[in-house]
Amino acid sequence: MQASRARLFKEYKEVQREKSVDPDIQLVCDDSNIFKWTALIKGPSETPYEGGVFQLAFAIPEQYPLLPPQVRFLTKIFHPNVHFKTGEICLDILKNAWSPAWTLQSVCRAIIALMAHPEPDSPLNCDSGNLLRSGDIRGYQSMARMYTRLAAMPKKG
Amino acid sequence: MGYDAMANEASVPAAISRDFGKKKKVNRSAKLKQCKLDARREQWLSQVKNKGCMDGSTGTMTTSPSHPKMSLPSPGQGVLGSRPRKMLPRVEMEPEGLGLQDSGLDSPVQSPTPSGNMQRKDCSSTSGSSGSSVGSCSRSVSDAEEDRQEEEKGEDKGGLDDWEAVADALSAVGNHTRTNSDSLKTVVDSRMYRIHHSDTRLVVGATRPDANRTIPRAWKPDDAARPQCLPNLSKQLSFPVNIERHFATSGWHRQAIISAPSSCPICVEDFDLTDSSFLPCSCGFRICLFCHKKILEEGDGRCPGCRKKYDRVACMENSVTGTGLSLPRRITRSCSMNSRS
Repeated sequence: MQASRARLFKEYKEVQREKSVDPDIQLVCDDSNIFKWTALIKGPSETPYEGGVFQLAFAIPEQYPLLPPQVRFLTKIFHPNVHFKTGEICLDILKNAWSPAWTLQSVCRAIIALMAHPEPDSPLNCDSGNLLRSGDIRGYQSMARMYTRLAAMPKKG
Repeated sequence: MGYDAMANEASVPAAISRDFGKKKKVNRSAKLKQCKLDARREQWLSQVKNKGCMDGSTGTMTTSPSHPKMSLPSPGQGVLGSRPRKMLPRVEMEPEGLGLQDSGLDSPVQSPTPSGNMQRKDCSSTSGSSGSSVGSCSRSVSDAEEDRQEEEKGEDKGGLDDWEAVADALSAVGNHTRTNSDSLKTVVDSRMYRIHHSDTRLVVGATRPDANRTIPRAWKPDDAARPQCLPNLSKQLSFPVNIERHFATSGWHRQAIISAPSSCPICVEDFDLTDSSFLPCSCGFRICLFCHKKILEEGDGRCPGCRKKYDRVACMENSVTGTGLSLPRRITRSCSMNSRS
């Protein structure tokens, strides 16, 4: 408990210090609870998510960093490895491949990498996974782009 | 430049140096000034030496008492070239019988000759300038050089008195050689220093027993006659190299380890002494003992850096014997202890 708090506080200071280093990631700690974090990540370029800003919610266990943080999308996203309704993310480093050397910042980077390289063979969103697995790249991209415009971009007007 | 001119030129600083010689036992800054004078005289001498080389006759050396070529010690000869050296008959004037050939020149009787103080001067200036050309011995050059040498002297003097004393006591042979730190690769024979010491005594007319210690000198690690009791500098110098080699395989972690090994990356607590010598994984990723225990008991028992399973036995051995980083440290520590004995 104390170790995780110290570690999170260190990460918080690191985030404040390196705010401008990675402009695609904006990590914000909850005002009253250091175990609750929110992140805003920009959709990677040359993907259907380009131009969108996606919100992530971090719930950090007390055993952190021995246990990985629980991360989910708050913004709706059409991605084979993200549950369409709950926003749950299927990513190995958030499950069995977690290492205490990872940080919240590096988790955000991994999620951005996952958005650019979807893995249709272990889908949480079966519709999206099926489109990719059947080779309908264009179908997947248009669906993902549509949801990006609907959910991850500021409303026009 | 004729010998007469040379003698006249040299006589003035000789007198000055003699005056300074009295003070320098008392005053450290006076010593430095002495060094400066010595360097300048050495420059002049080198000019004459070159002339002597051109003459190519040993006879002139012996006949002219002011010939500075005699200040050359025998070991320097190899470096300095095939300059002939002649033993002078004034052996008996040397109190220690070591630097025989030169001491007589510097006795107060032959006042216009260069004072012996300069002869303890680095061979470097002599050999360097004489090796290149006579013209290189201009005043400005010699000034710059002697300034540098003076700085060196100052460094050498700082805190090396004890080493010198110890070594003097231990090595009765007294054949301390030392590569000149002017990087001119001139081997300076200790006899040079002896000459100087004894001459100093003659000039000053004092019988101080600690005259030998007026010019402390450090040994180079590669000196043949370097006393065994001195700390092995080469090992200490190679310490960072060892670190490099040790972590050469650890890939991207190496940078972090070398630059910021102060705190555990997992719990961000500062490493204590045990932690900093604790190397839990061969990949070089270092964590504190506390986190290591926690990963083994509560976590998945894998290294956070490379995700390989921690080898529990090896980890225990590592923590006990302190392999890797702590090994060279221990070597240096033992060396320094030896040197104190």
